[in-house]
Amino acid sequence: MSDSPTPGGAPSPEWPAGWALPLIASPETTAPTRRSLQERLDATHDAPRFFDADAYETFAAACARLVPSTGLDRPVDVAPSIDARLAKGTGDGWRYAALPPDGEAFRRGVAAIDAAAEGAHAERFCDLAPADQDAILTDAQHARGAFADLDGFDARLWFADWLSEAAGLFFGHPLAQQDIGYAGFADAPGWTRITLGAREEREPLPETP
Amino acid sequence: MTDRYDAIIIGTGAGGAPVLARLAAAGLRVVALEAGRLWNPTEDFATDELEQDKLFWIDERISAGTDALAFGANNSGIGVGGSTLHYTAYTPRPHPADLAIKTEFGVGMDWPFGFDALEPYLTEAEQFMGVSGPNPYPWGPPRKTGYPLPPLPLNAAAQLMQRGAEAVGIRTSPAANAALSGSYYREGVGWRAACTNRGFCQAGCNTGAKASMDVTYIPFAQAHGAEVRPECFVTEITRDSTGRATGVVYTHRGTETRLEADTVFLCAGSVETPRLMLMNGIGGEHVGRHLMAHPGLQIWGRFDEPTRPFKGIPGGLISEDTHRPDDADFAGGYLLQSIGVMPVTYARQVARGRGLWGEDLREHMRGYGYVAGINILGDCLPHEDNRITLSDETDARGLPKPHVVFDVGENEQRMTAHADRVMRQIWDAAGARDVWSFDRHAHVIGTARMGATADDSVVDRDGRVWDTPGLIVSDNSTFPSSLPVNPALTIVANALRTADAFLGRG
Repeated sequence: MSDSPTPGGAPSPEWPAGWALPLIASPETTAPTRRSLQERLDATHDAPRFFDADAYETFAAACARLVPSTGLDRPVDVAPSIDARLAKGTGDGWRYAALPPDGEAFRRGVAAIDAAAEGAHAERFCDLAPADQDAILTDAQHARGAFADLDGFDARLWFADWLSEAAGLFFGHPLAQQDIGYAGFADAPGWTRITLGAREEREPLPETP
Repeated sequence: MTDRYDAIIIGTGAGGAPVLARLAAAGLRVVALEAGRLWNPTEDFATDELEQDKLFWIDERISAGTDALAFGANNSGIGVGGSTLHYTAYTPRPHPADLAIKTEFGVGMDWPFGFDALEPYLTEAEQFMGVSGPNPYPWGPPRKTGYPLPPLPLNAAAQLMQRGAEAVGIRTSPAANAALSGSYYREGVGWRAACTNRGFCQAGCNTGAKASMDVTYIPFAQAHGAEVRPECFVTEITRDSTGRATGVVYTHRGTETRLEADTVFLCAGSVETPRLMLMNGIGGEHVGRHLMAHPGLQIWGRFDEPTRPFKGIPGGLISEDTHRPDDADFAGGYLLQSIGVMPVTYARQVARGRGLWGEDLREHMRGYGYVAGINILGDCLPHEDNRITLSDETDARGLPKPHVVFDVGENEQRMTAHADRVMRQIWDAAGARDVWSFDRHAHVIGTARMGATADDSVVDRDGRVWDTPGLIVSDNSTFPSSLPVNPALTIVANALRTADAFLGRG
């Protein structure tokens, strides 16, 4: 599922649930920070505007494999934000010259995922078992299999851009930040305990260090 | 005529703001035009990286070459203050030898003036911005004037680098950072409060402790009568029949305005400066060429104790023992730096750099609070084919997108391989596990370089564009060599020097 020989690296601790939202609501978080995090928590998703309904189903299912919401209080979906961005036609300030403009790149990438599912399983991507979905996405990541020759479209570069954007959106969400034990948003007082191993009262303790 | 100025300054970052301040203090009628917005950091800056993406220049740049450069969150900035709004505030000085790399190694290009011409302005900038750093500083020539404030406290990454470097025999020191370790007063600016270790320098400081231009040179300039116009995007440098610059045309919320001035200072950074020159057919055959980007390899590792890497000044510790390594098989050198990181930035990097996704990414990120990094910042040699041109594609403003080509050369590859070995030794000695590297290039430099003659440069030693009288460039596009240091301090110092030369004080 990943490039690395030891995929996740060293085992990570587990973090407690339920601490982040009360901290965001507390005076330990400044108003501007609370406002922007609360907006993200309250966001409701409109119908897709960039992808058509079928392509969006594929795309959303694929995003949910890249950044799965396993174990979170509720799902953190990144597909709506990317769809909204593509509909607006904005980007992150650059793109690889080897790729077409973002909108076209995403359309081609998602179409290739659909075609790979159809070719290997005669089913739609969103109806496949997670392991089969992951196998297709791994091929996309490495531009191999059904993604090896897409008429000049470099699936490897597109996948890297997409994954980076999805990862940023996911870990920018307070529920995902809670899951990694990050309390940096509690920004009103500043930090005085910044050395190795130091923890302040408002930071969570790992459950399995 | 009311709309005539002594000088127009395009851009309010590290290149433009000090010029604005210097000229205003000299009594000139000056105005700065800034493409981005004016922010109120207390109210507008959240401790939330996604919200703060608004500090990045997102007009698309098309990036080509074997080492295509990332822009947006890397290598760009917008808003009153420019990219100093999100710089790390790491302010090492160049060494005298860095300005004479051709003399020392026979490659690259020397600066058209020596370190002595820059030194007084480095001191002035450090004193004005309130740089926190050690006295004495362990590397480089002795200094007449030390840093005005003691170093900022060391965070976990800095402690770990200290531990690892000591074990392998590399000297370290608390770094110089343009963020305040104590409250600080300057005439024309007022009091600024000490840093609270919020660690969000790269996403916008909300307390004014970090010396971005919007809390230092810009208020100083305004106190001396300068005008700053946000959300004004310059599209044209107007010229008279003799080719002399006469002013600019800019767009503000859809309305075009023409401004006249005796002199135009172009301070838009190493992408937008050459882009505007190319769009106007200014600057000659060297415009856009010799683009350099610092090798900025990062090494990350996981530690047994929590690091909580978002706390404190990100670049707490430095070593310059690698400025001229004994076993170097490359020209120039590099510095070593401990680095903090915010979670979204780290997640984007671990996704792109290691290709982690799915449950592997989730699992890795649960260890975010135990991660620490070190990186280098090294010389990059200029190559004329590393360059910015205008693309056939246009952006939402209807202007040609910049097209950027960057291939690293053999010198940068050798330096990066050397640094990879050194940093892995340090991190191994510090007790890191699951060590991985992220290759990247930071800062875009040198696309309108200065030189002694028009034969091999775009501007003269004082930033004057050879082929366009009345137009002066002040930003890191004029750097003839990249210097193995973060550029902001040198950009500010050279901006002050450029302004003094213009005022006849050079």
